Order: sequence, then structure tokens, then C-alpha cells
Amino acid sequence: MDAGHAAATVAEVAHIVSSPLPAALVFGPLIAAALVRPLGKRWPGVRNAYVVAVTVLTLLGAAGLIPLIAEHHRIQSEVPALLGELTFTVDSFSMLFAIFTSFVWFAATLHSLDYLKHEKKHDRYHTTTLVVLAANLGVVLAGDLVTLYLFFEALGLVAFLLVIHTETDEAKKAAGKYFWMTVIGGFALVGGIFLTFALGGSGALEPLPAGHGDELLRWAAAILLILGFGVKAGMVPVHVWLPDAHPVAPAPASALLSGVMIKAGAYGIFRVVTALFRPEVAEQVEEHLWHFSEQLGLVVLWIGIATMFIGVFLALQQSNAKRMLAYHSVSQMGFILAGIGAAGYLGAHGAMGVAGGLYHVVNHALFKACLFLGVGAVYYRTHSLDLYHTGGLWKKMPITFVFMCIAAAGITGVPLFNGFVSKCLIHHAIVEAWEYHELASLGIAEKIYIVTCGGTACSFIKLIGLMFLGKPKMEYGPEVKDAPPRMLLGMGVLATAIVALGWFPQLLIKGVFQPGLHTWGVHGDILDHYLEHSFLSGPDLMSVLIAFALGFTFFFVGMKFHLFHLHAPQYFSIDWWYRQAAHGLMALCAATDRTYEALRRATSQLLRVGRFEYAEVTARISRRRRLLISTLLTGAPGARDQHFIGHASVALERERQDSVRLAVLAAIQHSRADAGVTDKDLVDAVRDIAGYIAQRLMNERMGALSDLARTGGLQSARVAFAGAMSEVAKTRTPIAQTALALAPLRMRGDNVGRDIAAAVNTLISAERFDLMLAPRTTGGVMALGHTAEAGQLVRSALPTRAALRAAGTSGLTWLERAAAWLLEITRLVVDSLTRERSDWIAGDRFDDAAVVSMRLHIQHYARDIGLNVAVIACVLLVFVLAIAL
Amino acid sequence: MDAEATRSFLPPLVFLLPIIGSLLTVPLQHISERARNIGLGVVCAAVAVLAVVMAAGVANGMVYETMLLQLTPDIWMYFRVDAMGALFGVTVAVLWLLALVYSWGYMDGGHRPARYFAFFMLCLGWTMGVAYAGNLLTFLIFYELFSILTYPLVVHEETPEAMAAGTKYIIYILIGGTLVLLAIVLTFFAAGDQTLTAGGILTAEAGRTNLLAIFWCFIIGFGVKAALVPLHGWVPDAHPAAPAPFSAVLSGVMVAAGSFGMMRVIFQVFGVDLLRELEVAHYLTWVSGFTVLFAAVLAVNQDDIKRRLAYSTISQMAYVVLGLSLLGVESTIGALVHITNHAFMKGALFLCAGLFIKRLGVRRVSQLDGAAKRMPVTAAAFALAALAMIGTPPLSGFVSKWYLGLGMLETENPWLLAVLLGGALMAGVYLLPIVYRMYFREAVLTAEDKIAEEGREAPASMLVPLVITTALTVFLGLGAALPGMPADLARMAAEAFFH
Repeated sequence: MDAGHAAATVAEVAHIVSSPLPAALVFGPLIAAALVRPLGKRWPGVRNAYVVAVTVLTLLGAAGLIPLIAEHHRIQSEVPALLGELTFTVDSFSMLFAIFTSFVWFAATLHSLDYLKHEKKHDRYHTTTLVVLAANLGVVLAGDLVTLYLFFEALGLVAFLLVIHTETDEAKKAAGKYFWMTVIGGFALVGGIFLTFALGGSGALEPLPAGHGDELLRWAAAILLILGFGVKAGMVPVHVWLPDAHPVAPAPASALLSGVMIKAGAYGIFRVVTALFRPEVAEQVEEHLWHFSEQLGLVVLWIGIATMFIGVFLALQQSNAKRMLAYHSVSQMGFILAGIGAAGYLGAHGAMGVAGGLYHVVNHALFKACLFLGVGAVYYRTHSLDLYHTGGLWKKMPITFVFMCIAAAGITGVPLFNGFVSKCLIHHAIVEAWEYHELASLGIAEKIYIVTCGGTACSFIKLIGLMFLGKPKMEYGPEVKDAPPRMLLGMGVLATAIVALGWFPQLLIKGVFQPGLHTWGVHGDILDHYLEHSFLSGPDLMSVLIAFALGFTFFFVGMKFHLFHLHAPQYFSIDWWYRQAAHGLMALCAATDRTYEALRRATSQLLRVGRFEYAEVTARISRRRRLLISTLLTGAPGARDQHFIGHASVALERERQDSVRLAVLAAIQHSRADAGVTDKDLVDAVRDIAGYIAQRLMNERMGALSDLARTGGLQSARVAFAGAMSEVAKTRTPIAQTALALAPLRMRGDNVGRDIAAAVNTLISAERFDLMLAPRTTGGVMALGHTAEAGQLVRSALPTRAALRAAGTSGLTWLERAAAWLLEITRLVVDSLTRERSDWIAGDRFDDAAVVSMRLHIQHYARDIGLNVAVIACVLLVFVLAIAL
Repeated sequence: MDAEATRSFLPPLVFLLPIIGSLLTVPLQHISERARNIGLGVVCAAVAVLAVVMAAGVANGMVYETMLLQLTPDIWMYFRVDAMGALFGVTVAVLWLLALVYSWGYMDGGHRPARYFAFFMLCLGWTMGVAYAGNLLTFLIFYELFSILTYPLVVHEETPEAMAAGTKYIIYILIGGTLVLLAIVLTFFAAGDQTLTAGGILTAEAGRTNLLAIFWCFIIGFGVKAALVPLHGWVPDAHPAAPAPFSAVLSGVMVAAGSFGMMRVIFQVFGVDLLRELEVAHYLTWVSGFTVLFAAVLAVNQDDIKRRLAYSTISQMAYVVLGLSLLGVESTIGALVHITNHAFMKGALFLCAGLFIKRLGVRRVSQLDGAAKRMPVTAAAFALAALAMIGTPPLSGFVSKWYLGLGMLETENPWLLAVLLGGALMAGVYLLPIVYRMYFREAVLTAEDKIAEEGREAPASMLVPLVITTALTVFLGLGAALPGMPADLARMAAEAFFH
């Protein structure tokens, strides 16, 4: 192409005329959908007329695009919404999609009026179809990627309601799968769109600028976009929802799903390959810029070949007519993708691929919709879709049979029916691609293509042969007659179009493809060549013959050897892997949740343990602290003393129990002696009283012991204790006697408290437990305790006032005076602290033994007081330092 | 920018009004419930109107400011309404108004309504103060007050679970608050008291160690409130325990207040340039990216509806932090817009959850089968809000995620798209099964239930706020590009941050 031509094309394309028609086409049905429910509630008949009218108007509107496009090439509308504006740009290709979409919609809506008689929720169905129509038109008319994405998502999500319409378990399952794949496809798509922005795109459906972003990013964007659109298009390997979802919908909805909606995906892939990843029109002279586009085209071409082959292979295994047709949709999408891929691969010479792919888009919409409607009519009358259970219907439903034959002829590519043209175009494109780069693998692709055509032929021989011809395999009642007229009309318009496009291929080729390709600056001359020389030419007819020969062979071999009922193991199915992946994801979520919960629980357990430990430790510390403080204040108790006190308390407790036991025994004997039997009340009263007295005595004894402990007399008491305990045992008898004496009083209900108290007092004064323990040798001194001793010592050690006065104050330094003053103060303090007890000390008891004992006590006292003093000194030192520094 | 600042009494009025309202609650309650409802409704509506008026003013280039009170010789209680604050303020006020109206029906017959409404209004006041605070100390005062005064609302039901959740809440929040306080003290030490404006108040002279200490104290402190994993522990417990209308604002704006604080810190304390120099923002990106996915994965297995929504909040709020941490214009717009959009989406979802509890007595996802037949409007609102949460165009969730996505590309992090879309996909995985159950599963009902089926749909007084919230979700999506919409204000704010 020369630069001048390119520049002229650019100028032509850059000029876009504004028109409200595209936006009206999209929003018309959307707004119209709001009225369906109010109308349907009261007048279902009016509603039916209304929805047909809306589709007719939409079709007329789409047809109204033809003169506009012919004149201006591209027209645009803008609607302010979402992120700025939604733009709708229409070129020849968009127009083509819009027209066939609304055309098939019209036919399917017409058909649905009768078909829905055995379905529920008509209003929901009609509302949904109108919304989906709007969304579908939005997709194909969208001028930028955001608008495209918006309507694509809407299309996918709202069509969910069509799939689930019957609300059977099967439908719910299929709809679930459909929904998730749509959602994931949507995410892939939006990811791809984001990446086009990273590649310098503006969001418009225009070539991305070259040399922006690396190769990897470019591939990521392209693959995400193709995956996103491919989910909807039923592309292998993301086709798995399609064979489930299309058959479970009501037949007219299946026709729309299979005939039209999957084309939205094809449209997307078409735009990705031929608009986004294509050099700018002005740059097309540069061969190397086509490199990426070629590679991408090759990938799509091979995806297409795989899709068509796998689709047809699986279709042959089906016995349910709608399911078979759904697999054929997959396969036919393969043809379309192969055409688009070839277009991309051939780059500037890809006219044949574009024409073939898009021609097939239209054709498939027509014949697949017609087939679904026909099968739907059969189901409407017979309630059976099983190929192997019906048969011989041509007599009962002749017109339906004719339309089915026409559609089958279309899909198998019989000359003079539309499929023939598009299949030949795609075949030419593949051959051209093969020859163009001499890529041997494409030769194989061409062979697969022919075999697939054979498989398709076989499949429809099967459909027509088993369902309409042959002998009936079931009894048909009188209700099995030809479809109602509105259904027939719906199929009729589609069949007419099939024949028309088969006879007059130039209608599309000259009317749409060549002007459209012209705006891209792609050579369209080759299409003229096709129309003049290759259409209905020998080689093309020959390839159709080969395909049909293969088809018949497959059919008879398959029927004879029962090859149509093979079932591959489940791990051959991609679906199975997807399910595994989904289960894996859910399991992963569950596992994460469990792990997290376990972790959380472990943490809180740890915290709880920590809190407990903390409480333990603080308790221990506070015990120690109390011990420390009491040690500081009262002096450390000797370990032996503690032990002794413990031992003594056990002995005393035992003594208490023995006393009570003795009293009880005495009571029992007493009562036996008196009455011959045990007086239980007496025994109880005696036990009470004796227990009380013994308890009091024990308390007194423990008090004496602890008093000794405080005053340091334990050392000697230890010696005396054993003896004292034998003395103590003497109180048992008096206790028993007292208890026995008082028991009758208590039993009478008198208050014996005072009597008991008196008895206790008598016992205590008789016993003098403290004196029993008190050391006999050193007498009083031992009882005086540390303080008094220390006081005494200090007092004697200190110089007396008289001595100080005698020494005189004259010769003393201030330091000595201060020391003297301090000494005096200390003396006073010690004096006052110890006065109470030191007064008892008799001056004449200072014998040798006393001195030795005193020295011992001073050592003890120093040990006790030393720590206190040290602490106080430290505190003072710190205080002084703090002030000084 | 300061040249255009207008002295105005409006900002303090906006936080004083609700406080007055809260003081009036008890006397009004004594008169009648109707009087209380009308009184508080008027106050709240006035606040919303004032917030909208100020937002409109800010959108036209005005900046409102008030020196209210001298706290110390150096520090004033200072309010300043900039684009960011105005947007947050409007979000808070409008959502609060809707939740208040909903509360009338929800708290009908509930225990201690006066306490609930008094604290509800009080929290509104403090939260508005957070939105309009003009310097760090003012911000701190309101932030701490509203965090702590939320406690009575969290434990309102006074069930053992609520009390436990409340304890958890207060411990988390106090620790977070202490860190924020520490960070603010450090900031004062490093830079003194300054007005929060774009460009930041800290400079590199403060020393890298100091700056890092300040940054992490702020981020961890606000991260507790913004529920970044691993600081999110209080969120999944507090939400199910609190009354539904309060859950709505808790999730919608209170958690967002943490993100809002982070935004103030990132753009107005540090400033973009300084943060780029410090090279710490990418740690925040990782943490928030992890939070997005982790919380979403955890949400899938929660059977309690409100708990599932709480995890969703953690995931969605991490988007905001993710957007901030990228330090790009578009991602900042996305973050700001997402706060607003999320507030209404999640608000709608929680209001629905409240209706399920109130009308059907259902708290679990597994009990929701067939709920759409019984409560068609509620179910539709839930479905719409769920789709918005996933980011389905043209609903509001799509808009914010779109900006976030653009921001990721703008800052050359295309791999983050996987986080963005992965989180959205997981949102589908945890929300759509609920929608599916409501619409396409048959409820298992006893004969008595079937008789009582009629009239299960909520009364109009509760449906109206729910429908308005949902409508806002749609409107914020469809009309996202209109002038004066969140994206507009957010763009103003973001462009100021990036000069």
C-alpha cells in the first residue's frame, strides 16, 4: 500500500459523524424492558405484541444504520455515564452484528410466544431477553473498551436468568457453572483491558501504539482479552459451560444463546485481533510491525482449529438433540475463530479471513437459531429431545422438517446455502495462510478442517436421519402435528435468510466487508476475485463432496460399531479439571480458615496461659515481698523455729482431737451406764462442748508458742516441749468432765457459754503452758526479748550524760560535737523504745551467764536489725546523692 | 491554597450539632419515641446538609477553616475542610443519617434505646471532627474520643459475646490509639504543630530513624482501626455483636477512619516526596495486598452473615490502603472514592443483614434459603450491593476499582492487578452464594412458617434507608463522572497532594 492511500484512508476514518441512533438502539430495548412486567400482569396478549414490536423496531433501527454507514463509514453517539462517557461507534462490522442480532432476536421472540406456554414466569423471560438484547447491542456497538466491558458483563450476568429459567436442578447446576465461568471471564477481560492501558492504549477500539510496553505484557494483555471473550464464545478450553447451559434454557433462549450471544465473544476476539493488536493504518507499510499481530493470529487460528475439531468430536457422542447442537455451536465457533485467526495471521492481506469469519458469524447465527427453534418445536409437540427415541417426524411435522433441512444444509455447507460460502472463504483463508508463509503445520490444519466438515455433515445426517426420517420409535399422539404458525414464521424468516445468503454472497461481501476493510486500509480486491472465479467453482464443490463422503462414512461406521456412545474417562474432560480446581480453591479457603482459627485459638490459649503464669508469678513475688518486709521489720525467723512451730501445732492439734475423743468416749460410757443405750443427743452435746474447750485451749497454747517465737525463747522451749506435752495431756480428763457436766444443760437449751468460758479460764490458769515452756535456767532475761536486751546494751555502751559533761565540750571539734549530739539522740530513742521492758530488768542479775547470753542475743539482734539499717542507709544515701547531684 | 481559606463557623457546627443532639436524647426519649426520632433526625439531616454544602463549596475551590479553642499557647483546636475531608465528611454524614433512620425501626422494642441513640449521635459528632480536623492534635482528640465512645455501641446488646467483643475492641483500639499518640508526639518533636496541608509537615532534616519511627507508629496505630492483617482481630468479633445499623457505620466509615488517618499521614504529614525518599511505602503495599486476599479467603468459610461481611470489610478496606501506598494520582483517587463507595455498599449489605436478623431471625448464611421470596426488596438490595462489591459495572464498586487499577498501571505495578482482581473474584466467591441461596434455593419451612409467610418484608421505615443506600450505590457508579461526585473531589485532593 502506498503512503498516499494510507493517509487518505486515515483522513476518511478520522472523520466520525455523530448520530443518536446507536445509543437509541442500545437503550431503547433496555427502557422498553421496564414495561414488560406491568403489561404482563394484566394483559399477557398485549405484552406479547409489545415485545415483538420492540424487537421489530430494534431491527428497523439496526437496518437504519445501513444508509448512515454507507454514507459516513463511521458514526458515533456518546452518553454521559460511569467513567465519563459511554461511546458507541458503529462501523460496517458493528452494523452487521447489530442487524443479524436484532433479526435473530425477532425470530426467536416470535417463536417464544408459543413455546413458553409450558414454561412459567413469562414476564421474567421477556424482560430478560429485552435487557440482554440491549446488552448485546451495546457490546457490538461499543466504541471503547469500558463500554464494551460494561455491556459484556451485563450480557453475561443477565443471561444467567435465561439459563436458569426452568429452575430444574439440571438448569441450576448448568447456570451455576455458566455464571462462574462468566464471572471469571469478566475478570480476565477487565485485566486485559487494564493491560491495554499499560500498553499505551486510550481505551478506544483502535490499534495500540507500537513500541510501548514489552512483549510479555503485550502477550499477557492479548491472552487475557482473548480468554475473557473466549469464555463467552465457547472457545476451547473454556467452552465447558456451553454444552450444559444452552440445552437447559427454553428453546428460543437456546437459539439466542447459541445463535447470537456467543457471537458477542466472537466480536470481542475479532476486535482484539484485528483492531487492538494491529499497527496503525498509517504504519502499515512497515512489515515488522505486523509481527505481533501475525503471531497472535496464528495462536487464534490454532485455537479455532482445536475448538472446531473437539466440538464436533464431542457432538457426535450426544444423544440429546439440543446438547448436540450446543456442541456444534462450540465447533462452529472454531470455524469463526479460525477465520479471524487467519485474518490476523495474514495481516494486511487478511481480507479473506475477515470475510470468512464474519460471514460465518452471520450464517451460524441464522442456521443455529433455526435449528434450535426447530428442535424446540419438536420438543413442544413430542416432549422428547432424544435422537434415538424419535424418528419419522417428517410426516407429522413437514414444514418444520423442511426448515430443519434448510438449516442443516446451511451448517453442513451444501452449495447454494449460506454455510457453503463462509466455509469456503475460511478454507481459502487457511490455504492462503499456509501458502503465504509456507508453514507446514497449517497444511495439517487444513486437513483437520476438512475432517471437521465431514464430522459436521455426519452429525446432521444423524440428526435429520434419526429424528425426522426412518421409522418412529415411539407412539405419537394426536397432539404431534406441525408447529403453531408463529413458531413456523420465526423459523421461516431465518430459513429465508439462509437461502438468500447462500445465493447472493455479494450481499455481504460487497455491501459490508469491502467497505469495512477499506476503512482499515486492507486489500479487499481478493474478495472480488473470489466472487468472480471461486464461488461455486470446481475445487470448492469438490471439497464439499469430500466432506459429505466423509460424513456418510462416519455415520454408517459409527452406527454399525456403536461408536457414538463412547465415554472417555472423566480426567479427559476439561470440565472435570475445572471442577477439581474449584474444589481445590474451596478446600484452600477452608484450610486457610482452619489454620487461621487454630492459630488464633493457640494464640489466645497462649495468652491465657501467660496470664495464669503471670498471676502465679506475681502472687509468688508478693508472698516473697511480704516475707521480706516482715523479715526486715521483725527479723528473720530461724528455719528450725518454723519447723518447730509447725511440729508443735501438729502436736497440739492432735492433743485437741484426743481431748474431744476422750470426752466423747466418756459420754458414751456415761449414757450406756445410765440407760444402756447410747444417747445420741448427749454425745453430740458433749462433742460440741469439748470441741469448743479444746479449741480454746489449743489457741491459747499456740499463742504462748508464738509469743515465745517473737521473743526468741523458742530455743529452750524446744527442750521443754516434750515434757510440756505430757503435762498438757492432763487436761483431757477435766475437759471430759466439764463437758459431761454441762451437756445436760445444753441439751435443755440453756446458754452454757459462760459456764464454758469459766471452765476454760480455770483450765488455762491451772495449766500455765507458757511457764511450762519458759526456760528455767536464765529466767526473766530470756523472756525479755531482743529489744530490751539491745536497748540495755546500747545504753550501757553509750557514754552517759555525766561522762560527756565531764569530758567538757570545750576541746571538741564540731564533728565530735555532732557525733555526741547524735549519740545522745540515739540514746534517747533507744531508751524510749525499750523503756517498757527494760524497766523489769533487775540491776543485780548481771552475772556471767547473763553476759554470755546477752552477747548471743546481741549477735542475733544485729543480724536482724542490720538489714533494716542497711536499707534505710541506702535510701538515705540515694536521697543525699539525688539532692547533691 | 491558604489564600482562599475562608473563616467559617460551619465545621465546628457540624460536630457540635450531633453532640447537642446526643445530650437531648434522654429528655426527648422521656417525652416520646416519636419526639426523639424527629429531633435526632432533624439534627442528623442538618449535619448531612451542612456537610454537603461544604463539599459543594470545596468542589468550587473554597477551603473552610476555624480556630475554635486554644488548647495550649502553641496549639489551637483547628478545623480545616479540604477536598479529602469534605468527601469523607459527606460520606459519614449521609451514611449516618440513613443508619439513624433505619435504627428507628431496628431499635424499636430494643433495650436501652436512649443510651444507643445518645452514643450514636455522639459518635457522629466525633467522626465529623475527625474528617474536618486541621491539625494533628485536633485529629487525635476526635479520633480517640470516637474510638473509645464507640464501646457502648459495640456492647449494646450486652450478650456475653458482645461483652467479649467489646473488650477485644477496646484493647485493640487503645493500643492503636496509644501508638498514634506516640507518633503525634514524635511529630511535634520533629516538626512542631502545623496545619495539615499537601506536601507534608515533616522534612528529611528530622533524620531517617525518627521519620521511620513516626511512620510505623502512625501506620500500626491507624492500621488497627483500618483492620490491616494482622491487626484486624477486633473487626470480625465486633461487627456481629453490634446492632446492625451500627455495624453499617462501623464498617462503612469507622474502619475507613483508620484509612483516612493513614491518608492524612501519608500525604499531609509526610508528603509524597519524602515518602518516596524513605522508600517504605512498598511494605505497606505488600501488607495491604496480603490483607485483601487473606481476609477474602477467610470470609468464604464464615457462616455468620455479619461475620462474613466483616471479613469483606477487612479485605475491601485494604484496597484503600493499597491505593494509598502506591503513591500515584489515580490510585489515590481510587482509594478516596473507594472509601465512599464502600461505605454505601457495605452499609447496604449490613442493613440487609439486620433485616434478616430482625424479620426472619436468621443470622447464618445457611439459613437464608429462599429468602428472596419472603423479602424481595431486601434480597434485591443485597444482590445489587453484592454485585457492586465485586466490581460489576456500572455499579459503584467498579468505579473505584477501575481507578485503583489505573493507579497500579500508572505506578508500573501491573502484577498488583492480580491482587485487585483476585480480591474481587473472592468477593464473588463469598457474596454470590448468599444471593444464589436467597433466590434459587427453596426454603425448608414448616406449615406454620408458611402461614406466617405473608408480610415478612420489612416495614417501610427500614426499607426506605436501605433502598436509598442501594440507589446511592448504583448512582455513584452510573454518575461517577458527573461534576461534584466523589471522583471529582478525590481528583482535587489527589492533584493537590501531587502538586
